[in-house]
Formats: sequence, C-alpha cells, structure tokens
Amino acid sequence: MPDARRPDIRLTGVSKSFGAPGGEIPAVAPLDLQLAGGSMTALVGPSGCGKSTLLRLIAGLERPSSGEIRIGDETPDDLRKRAALSVAFQDAALLPWRTVAGNVALGRSLARRPRDAGAVSDLINLVGLKGFEARRPAELSGGMRQRAAIARAMASAPELLLLDEPFGALDELTRDRLNAELPALWEAHGATSVLVTHSVAEAVRLADRILVLSPRPARIAADIPVDLPRPRDGVVLASEAFREICGQVSAALRDGQEPSRLAAQ
Amino acid sequence: MSGALAQRGRLAARLPGGALIALLLALIAWEAIARLTAQSFFIAAPSAIVAHMTDHAGLLWRAFAVTLWAAVRGFVWGNLAGVLMALLVVLLPRAERLVATLALLVFCLPLVATGPILRVLFGPGEGPQVTLAALAVYYTTFLPVLVGLRAAPQGWFDLVRSYGRGRMVALREVRLPAALPYLVAGLQIAAPAAFLGAMVGEFTGAERGLGVLTVRALRALDLPATWSIAVIASAVSVLAFAAVGWAGRRLDLAPPQVLLASPVEARQSRWRGPGEALLALVVTLALWKGAMELFALPRFFAKRPEDVWAYMVSGPGAEAHRAKLLGAMAETLSFTAPGYVAGLAFGAGLAVVLTLAPRAASLTMPVAIALRSIPIVATAPLIVWALGRGAAGTIAVVAVMIFFPTLVACLHGLARTPRAVLDLFEVYAAERWRRMLGAQLPAMLPAFFASARMAIPAAILAVTTAEWLATGRGVGALMATVASTSDYGMLWSAIALIGLVAVIVHGLVGALERWVLSRTNAEQLAR
Repeated sequence: MPDARRPDIRLTGVSKSFGAPGGEIPAVAPLDLQLAGGSMTALVGPSGCGKSTLLRLIAGLERPSSGEIRIGDETPDDLRKRAALSVAFQDAALLPWRTVAGNVALGRSLARRPRDAGAVSDLINLVGLKGFEARRPAELSGGMRQRAAIARAMASAPELLLLDEPFGALDELTRDRLNAELPALWEAHGATSVLVTHSVAEAVRLADRILVLSPRPARIAADIPVDLPRPRDGVVLASEAFREICGQVSAALRDGQEPSRLAAQ
Repeated sequence: MSGALAQRGRLAARLPGGALIALLLALIAWEAIARLTAQSFFIAAPSAIVAHMTDHAGLLWRAFAVTLWAAVRGFVWGNLAGVLMALLVVLLPRAERLVATLALLVFCLPLVATGPILRVLFGPGEGPQVTLAALAVYYTTFLPVLVGLRAAPQGWFDLVRSYGRGRMVALREVRLPAALPYLVAGLQIAAPAAFLGAMVGEFTGAERGLGVLTVRALRALDLPATWSIAVIASAVSVLAFAAVGWAGRRLDLAPPQVLLASPVEARQSRWRGPGEALLALVVTLALWKGAMELFALPRFFAKRPEDVWAYMVSGPGAEAHRAKLLGAMAETLSFTAPGYVAGLAFGAGLAVVLTLAPRAASLTMPVAIALRSIPIVATAPLIVWALGRGAAGTIAVVAVMIFFPTLVACLHGLARTPRAVLDLFEVYAAERWRRMLGAQLPAMLPAFFASARMAIPAAILAVTTAEWLATGRGVGALMATVASTSDYGMLWSAIALIGLVAVIVHGLVGALERWVLSRTNAEQLAR
C-alpha cells in the first residue's frame, strides 16, 4: 500500500568514494537499506562518518559510485527535477539579501510553485517567526535562522524532507525547544523524512527508527526501532523506555567506534 | 530608518572635523609654498588657480562637459564589457586563465600607444576618447565582479540544486546578488578611471575637451592652467568615487561579510605549466592577426605579428630597431622597478603604522581615499616638475600611483585578522609589535600580493604617462615620438614588448605570492 505522497526509500548496494591524491577514499561502504514511506529515520554517527554524504546521495546532490537509489518508483534526480524533495542544510543556507519572508518564499519559487503570500506567512507563524518576516538573516539568532530554513524546506510541500544536522550549531536550550516544537510540523505534513544528527537524545526523540553508522566508510552498525508513543512529551522523555533506547544507541555508537583499536587491545 | 541613520553615522565617521581642519591647513601651506617658490615654475597658488578658473570659466566648463560625456559613455561600455567577461568566465570556467590573461594584456596596453592608433582608426571625433575610457575601466570591474560571482558558499548552490534548478537559476538567485557589492566596489574605482581615460584620448588630436586644454597648457608652461585642470580632474574623480560609493550604500544591498573582501583580492589566473602560457600566446597572436585581417585594416599602420617580427628580428635594420627599443625599455624599467617596490613598501608600511597608531588613521584615511582617485595624467607633470626630469621624478610618479591602492588594500587586510587570534595575543598581554608580526602581518599578506599584481598595469600606465608628458625619456617618450612620425613598426613592437614584460612580471609576482602564502596562509591558496 505505497502512498505516492509518502514514498519509501530503497538503497541497493549504494557506495560512495571520493577521489583524492593518493587514491580513492571510501565515504560510504556498499549499503542495502529500505526506509518506510512517511517515516522519520535518524542517521546517527560520529563526526565525519559519512552520514551527511549518505543524505546528499539520497538528495541526488552526489552521485553514488555504485548501486542504485529509488525513492518510490523514481530516482533522486527525478524527484529533484519535479522539486518533490527539499533539504534543510546544516548552516541554514539562508540568502543574506533576502528577508525571512523572502527566503521562505524562495522555497516555493525554486520549486516552481505559484506565489502564495498566505502560505508563506502561515509557515512563518508555524515555526514561530511571526513579526520577523521583514528581518534579514544577519539580524536573527541561530535558532531563528534554523526555523526560517525549516520553514523554507516545508514551503514546497515536499514528499521527501532531508534534514542535515539542522540543529547542529545551536545551543542545548534552543535545540531542545526546536526538538519539542517541530515534530508536530512534519507529522502534520507527513513527508518521508531523514534526519542526520550526532545527538543521541535528539534522534530518539524525533525518529521512528535509528540507524547508527560506523566511522568512515559509513556502514550500518545498528538498526534500532523507536517504539515510543507520540507526541513525545515530558512523560515519554522521562520514561524508562526512552532511556533504554538512548542507552542502546550510545552503546552501538561506542561499539562502532574505531573497531581496529578495540580489537588491538 | 535605522539604515539611514547608520549611513549618516558612517559618513560622519569618514569625514571627521579633523580632516577638514587638516585640509584647511594644507591649503594655507600650499598658498605659502607657492608664493615662496614663485620663480621655480611648478607650484601654482590656490589663489592663482581660482583666478584662472573664474577668468576662463566658460572655456573650462565647455571642455569639461565634452570630456565628461565621453567618460560616461566609456564608463558604461567598459563596465558592461567587464561584467560580461566575468559572466563568461563563470559560465565557462575552463576559459578563465585565457580570458584573464587576455584581459590583463589589453589592460596593460600603454595609453600612449593605443591613443594614436585609435585616432587613426576612428579618425576625428570622440571614438578614441570613449574607447580609452572603456579600456581604462573594464579590468578593475572584471576582477571584483568575478570574485563576487564566486563568493557564495557551496550551501547556496546546493539549495538551488536540491530543487532541481540549474546554473541559470543559480546565477539569478545566488551569484548575481552576491556579486552586487563587488560590482559597486569595482564601479567606484572605475568612475575616476573613466575620466582619466577620456582625457588621455583627447591628447591625441581631439578638437575639444579637458585633455586638449591640458596639452595646450603643458606646451605653454602655463602653470595656473595646468593646475586648474588638475584640480578639476581631481575634484571630478573624488566626487565620482564618492557618488558611486554613496549610491552603493543607498541600495543597502551589501551583507557585511561579503563586503569584507577587498575588491583587489581577485583570484587571478595562475600559470600551471608552460602549456597554458603557450596557449595564451598563440590565442593572443591569433586574435591580433585575426582582428586586423577581419576588418582589413591597412598594413601601413595596423602592423600584424609577422610585421613586428620582421621589424625586430628578421627584416632590414632589425638590429638597430632592437637596440633602440631595448635601450628605451631598459631605461624605463630602471625607473619603474624602484618606483614599484617603493610604492608597495610605503603603502604596506604606512598601513602597518596606521594600524599600530589607530588615531592617526582617522585623520589620514579620508585624505588617502580622496588622493587615490586623483588621475595620474593631472599629477604626473606636476610631480616631474617638482622633482626634475631625472630618475627621482619618474620613480616618484610610479610610487605615488601604486602607493594609495596598496595602502587601502593592506589596511583592509590588517583589519581582517580573525578576532579570536587577536584575543589570543590579548590573553597573553603581547606587545603591539608582537601581535603585528604574529597575527596581523600574515593576515595582510593576501591583500598585499593582490595589490602587487594590480599595481603592474598601474605602474606601466604611470611610467609611460610620465615619460611621455614630462620627462621625454624611456619607452613612453619613444612611443610618443614614433606615433607622431608614423613609425608604426616601432610603435607596435613597443606595445608587444610591454605586454610581454607585463605578463612575465605578473607571472613572477604570482609565483612569489604562491611561494610566500603557501608558508603563511595555506588556506588562501586552496580556494
């Protein structure tokens, strides 16, 4: 019962290596993977493990060195060409000469959607930036910039939403607030989502499923389902189940870390 | 609202009362010196200049209007060409080295030689003035706009790509807006340069204009007239510079982090192997030959590459021609090299001093900004009159021409020292000079080398202009002489030799830059 508006993602033998002086550097080892339509999957791993590369492969911003990626019945390029996916970038990537409203509207115009000031201002309200429509990115705090970037990513009503450490540069308090507020956004929207993060708590809080990646080249060290009820409010976060899953993810992260050195001991 | 207030604040900061007082004192000193040295015939007193201007107001005004109109047209065409070339390079990155080298070559063409050739091409009228004004501006627009078009971080391009949009959308949404502040910076430098180019164009047989009056005043040793024109040209240049800057601020389009990059910090073509040098040479010769054959220009004055070869190497009298040209070139280089080094050294040195003593900077900077836009044509004869026709005068002209852009660029570079690095030195209570050596000088180096590269065409312009208008020596004077006697073989040979020297020096400076920066600022080279 695949839903065209919530495509699933299938990776078959996908690998990626980058050319470098002195030979190819493998970034992603051959992967087979299936992500359910409409789900939120978190990719967790240490810095530089290749999780962002994996996300960029799914976005069609990088080409795999081998293997095939299908999103529903289409390739990432097909999806990109009809502007059915959007990416919230790590550094927000807001254009400094556009206002908040201008940047959010850009998400529509780049996707060739008709102008719709009402939809733009609805989204701005939704991410809590009401009153800041006319501000430039330089006048916003880091958290506000990320809100604007997420509003822009939602503005094209994507079928696939890719979040590349969207809260990576934020302080703990702001991150916590956004983690609490934003799930409602994409739950209502229902796009298939992939979130790259290096925060265990964030992954467990937001995702339906967590893939722990080992350091370069990225391999799947653990595949952990998150069977916690939604909304994940204070009660859920304080529960034994939540802590247990966090513990599992942390353990998998530790085990996946530097296996060669562990083996040597 | 707040933007307008901030602008007024910025204006006030740039024109402090101290500068006005300094200006007034300078005027008084000028008048006094002029009266004291009245017999030596090189300084006209402000009172004499004002008297000349009021007596000849109608004449000066008509000439000014003619020159200004030619400059405006050249400004438009030249900048259009610069922007289009930058766009071409961005859309066709493989063509960059070739386009950049050709652009540099054409920019290094000495006005002394191109002026007469354009005059023969266009005949009477305003063609040469407009062309020279355009030639004087396209390069200083091309370089910063190219930098600006590339100044955007990768994430912005990824954003465009993630919606499946292509290079044209990236150009419209990302590159062009990101390049706008750089364009304004380029236009700011271009505005005075266009006026200078138009004046030089008028030296070669125009009927009207400030350039015509300049030649007449110089020949007659008419001191107040020469100084009046210098003052008018300088005032126009300063005003044009300020007006473009004001218009840029009015647009309020500049995100500060982009404006931090100095316009002269252009990434330039870097020779990667002799293959590319050879390609540039072949394309240059092909374009040279091709253009002449295409427009069927008469061989009498439009010499082809093979004509120059025959004139200099294989034809009759080649040895004498060679001796004459190389002798003049050697003399010119002996003036240019010390002036080039001195200008760079003084510019960088003063930047360091002003950074160590920031209070002096608020007084000096407005004057420096004003002076850097004063046209060389107006000042070269005055400097040479002051310092004599020997080496000192010419060296001074070259040094002055290079000094101000270097100062401004180096101050910019020093100011870009990362805050965290300065804090580190602060934590250890390091002395100012230690902070300068350890943190600020390395931060200044990229800007310094960028201005060293930009100074090469400027030095050529300065030395040939000074030799032609004032000293009567070296290759500048040689070109002026052979142009007036229609010895076009020698003229084209001189142009070719100057272009060759310019490209070689440019390559040497670039190699030195890479060598130094790879030891001090490795991240600058990675880009």
